[in-house]
Amino acid sequence: MRNIIKLSSILTLVTAIAALALAGVNTITKPLIEEQMRLAVHNALLEVLPEASGGVCVDVGEKKGELFEAYSSPDTTGLAGFAFKAYGKGYSSTIETMVGLDLNGNIKGIKILFQQETPGLGSKIEEIKYGKSKPWFQEQFKNKNAERVAVDKDDGEIKSITGATISSRAVTNSIRNGFKKIKPRLEKIIKGEQK
Amino acid sequence: MNFSELLIIALAAIFVQNFIFSRFLGLCPYLGVSKQLDSAIGMGASVIFVMSLASVVTWLVYNFLLIPAQSNLFYKIFNLDVEKIPDLRFLRTIAFILVIATLVQFVEMVVQKTSPSLYRSLGIYLPLITTNCAILGVSVLNIDSEYNFIESLVQGFTAGIGFTLALVLMAGIRIRLDMAEVPKPLKGLPIAFITAGLMAIAFLGFSGLSLE
Amino acid sequence: MTLSGELLKGIYKENPVLRLALGLCPTLAVSNSVINGIGMGTAFTFVLLGSNIIVSLIKKGVPDKIRIPVYIVIIASFVTIADLFMAGFAPKLHKALGIFVPLIVVNCIILGRAEAFASKNSLGRSILDAIGMGIGFTLTLVFIGFFREFLGDGKVLGTPVMGSSFEPVLLFILPPGAFLSLGFLMGFLNWIDSKKVRK
Repeated sequence: MRNIIKLSSILTLVTAIAALALAGVNTITKPLIEEQMRLAVHNALLEVLPEASGGVCVDVGEKKGELFEAYSSPDTTGLAGFAFKAYGKGYSSTIETMVGLDLNGNIKGIKILFQQETPGLGSKIEEIKYGKSKPWFQEQFKNKNAERVAVDKDDGEIKSITGATISSRAVTNSIRNGFKKIKPRLEKIIKGEQK
Repeated sequence: MNFSELLIIALAAIFVQNFIFSRFLGLCPYLGVSKQLDSAIGMGASVIFVMSLASVVTWLVYNFLLIPAQSNLFYKIFNLDVEKIPDLRFLRTIAFILVIATLVQFVEMVVQKTSPSLYRSLGIYLPLITTNCAILGVSVLNIDSEYNFIESLVQGFTAGIGFTLALVLMAGIRIRLDMAEVPKPLKGLPIAFITAGLMAIAFLGFSGLSLE
Repeated sequence: MTLSGELLKGIYKENPVLRLALGLCPTLAVSNSVINGIGMGTAFTFVLLGSNIIVSLIKKGVPDKIRIPVYIVIIASFVTIADLFMAGFAPKLHKALGIFVPLIVVNCIILGRAEAFASKNSLGRSILDAIGMGIGFTLTLVFIGFFREFLGDGKVLGTPVMGSSFEPVLLFILPPGAFLSLGFLMGFLNWIDSKKVRK
């Protein structure tokens, strides 16, 4: 019996030391990780809303990272557009997309933040054709109405990738559904802006 | 709760994203225990059982102890602000592996006490399961996919079935492979890998399944 | 064994993946590109080095009965450290490796080296062993990763090198390609060995 107590106290001690050490590491890396996440969002925002490059982006969503306002100057005047994050279940991963919108709710640009679709098929949502500078699949979304985007197989205007309808549809539908979710809030903000 | 969503999780775990052929989890026991059919079945049964149990227990640990949310026990007991609950998510790996190791020990003891005959057939596989990455893998996947309790249980159980399916199929093939004339350098593990590759191609066919 | 032998054995003669057939899951899962292989190999080497050092230092103080749980706690701690730092400094790679970062904890190579080597040998030798095994593991991943990325996607380190007319053999970058590549690589090594013996 005494042996069991001794053994378990040694094990508890080892675990406690490990947990303490990890807590220390966690306090160092936590701000780093948060900064990385913020940077990733920020860079994507600039890419889909170039107007905001001299200004600021403000997180105005009900949940963190749900909806952003982009201003063309640093003192939050001159609202230039909005951006939101869309999540769609693709073939082998959840595809994360940043969507930039102008004041009328038309898409200004999209940027895939994360995907792990099949290389050579689904991953073509990020393919850049030879001699071009931007991925052709994502370029298609420019100036489309976010509420009505759909892939060609669903009678929409977005040309889906051959052999990778699931991935193409995941991106497109996630944008449409994501927009529907933020629409009420967006309308409220735009109305407030006009007053 | 939507039944069709559970069915999708189940079909994905067994066929489309089979733990062996698509996710590459649990390969060590897959190649180690697939030499004979009855040991493959014994291992498979143990894995199904431990995987379901581990999915449930790690889900509870994560949601009641580690994440800073209203489900957290600290919140319930001390009536803390959600903001003030310690965020212990960084302890996930260490907590999960300890829970799984303890669980396996515990199951081994219970089986030994209650059913010696079951222990004789499964007992030798249980210690191997702690380091089976499929068990920790399914626990982490449940959390990463933000599954709820029932979904986690379904994924754990069906992933175990998918593993067993792959294991039993492989055992059936390897028994025949022993008698086949395999080029000498490929004998043993290399041909087992090549066989697994060909089976994985067959399983790729399931990816055409439209799960909607 | 000589000290340099201790270092070099992990690379070819006792290569953990190709010879001992350990750590197969990450080898197959993240060897679809060279960069993933390097990232995984680095994290793995860090964890193995850390756990080998600690295990070698405390080997006398740990009672036999709880040896394995103590080792697992040590390994899991180093895995978490690697996980957190990776998320902080290389978020893209961290996301690409996904669950295989926390799963380093159940990589049989690490527990195997702690149990079979570091718990019986001096600190210096344990360090050499860890570095050698780490390099052996990383090289294997990078080698298979290069092969699969080149054939399956026409790229080297993410840059297309085959021109637009090249039709990649998609199979190699899909899961079956991982099994086939490793199988043939192991067979190839066996064949080299059998040649050596004949001489």
